[in-house]
Amino acid sequence: MSNEPNRLLEVLDPGHTDPGYWSRFHGRVMSVVSAELARRRLLEQELTVSQVVQAWWRVLVPAAALAAALAGGLLFEGRAAMETAPLGIEELLVAGLEGEPIPAVLISEEAPDEATMFAVIER
Amino acid sequence: MSARSQTDDADLVRRAKAGDREAFGVLVGRYMKAAYSVALAVIGRHEDAEDAAQESFLVALQHIEECRNPERFGAWLLTTVRNRAKNLLRRESIRASDPIPLDARSSGPLPDRDAESEEVLQSLKQALSGLPQVQREVVLLHDLQGWKHREIAERLGLPEGTVRSHLHFARKALRTALAGPHSEDRAGDQGRRQ
Repeated sequence: MSNEPNRLLEVLDPGHTDPGYWSRFHGRVMSVVSAELARRRLLEQELTVSQVVQAWWRVLVPAAALAAALAGGLLFEGRAAMETAPLGIEELLVAGLEGEPIPAVLISEEAPDEATMFAVIER
Repeated sequence: MSARSQTDDADLVRRAKAGDREAFGVLVGRYMKAAYSVALAVIGRHEDAEDAAQESFLVALQHIEECRNPERFGAWLLTTVRNRAKNLLRRESIRASDPIPLDARSSGPLPDRDAESEEVLQSLKQALSGLPQVQREVVLLHDLQGWKHREIAERLGLPEGTVRSHLHFARKALRTALAGPHSEDRAGDQGRRQ
């Protein structure tokens, strides 16, 4: 027996006497595996969890940064407004009340007489 | 199989994982004869070897994520083939003590096989059945498929020297076993051809 593929062993090769054998064999294997290959192609098209997270990450991070910037701006703006127009304790106590929460006679610079004071209190 | 084709194997495996039909088709074409030879070395019958080899490609694709070294896909596939063929033998409840039935006649002869070829085939199968399985694999991959010692060593996970040794003893045993009544006919045939 030489080092070349042994001619005697060729009889064990189904393609030796049937030239189309290996082509049919290949076709049968590809037919058997076609469903599995299709399943793998389908899986490949579906998004993975990491891909979904990455997609959200791209939208969420800029949106969160924008919201934080807006909130910060509004906060500073509110503080500035409070500093320029301070409210007295009386104004805070009567804020939102209808009518005349503090009688005019009490706000007057002149001290009311006794009768007027009683009339206001009884009212 | 060179380093280039091993690299190709890794790329083909990567594409096959994603369901690339063409890539897996190349792998099938590259290894189908070797897969058949290994299955035949284990089982010894054409029909069963054919079934085992075909099924092995499906099993290999289904479990291709377990192929940790895609550049060694061939070795991994042949291991799958060998295991599949052994399972097939077990399923058929062939007793472990029985000799591997390489000499058993196929239930359906291969097409266009003439009587002389059939006779040679049976003698060869009988001779092969007397060899250890690893020697059958080595001699079939080398002398039938034309693989080099190094390729067989890589695919079967054996040292190259061991492959050479197996091949030497396998050929010697085959030569001895075939040196029967057929050897004269073959010698005559060869003489007539020359």
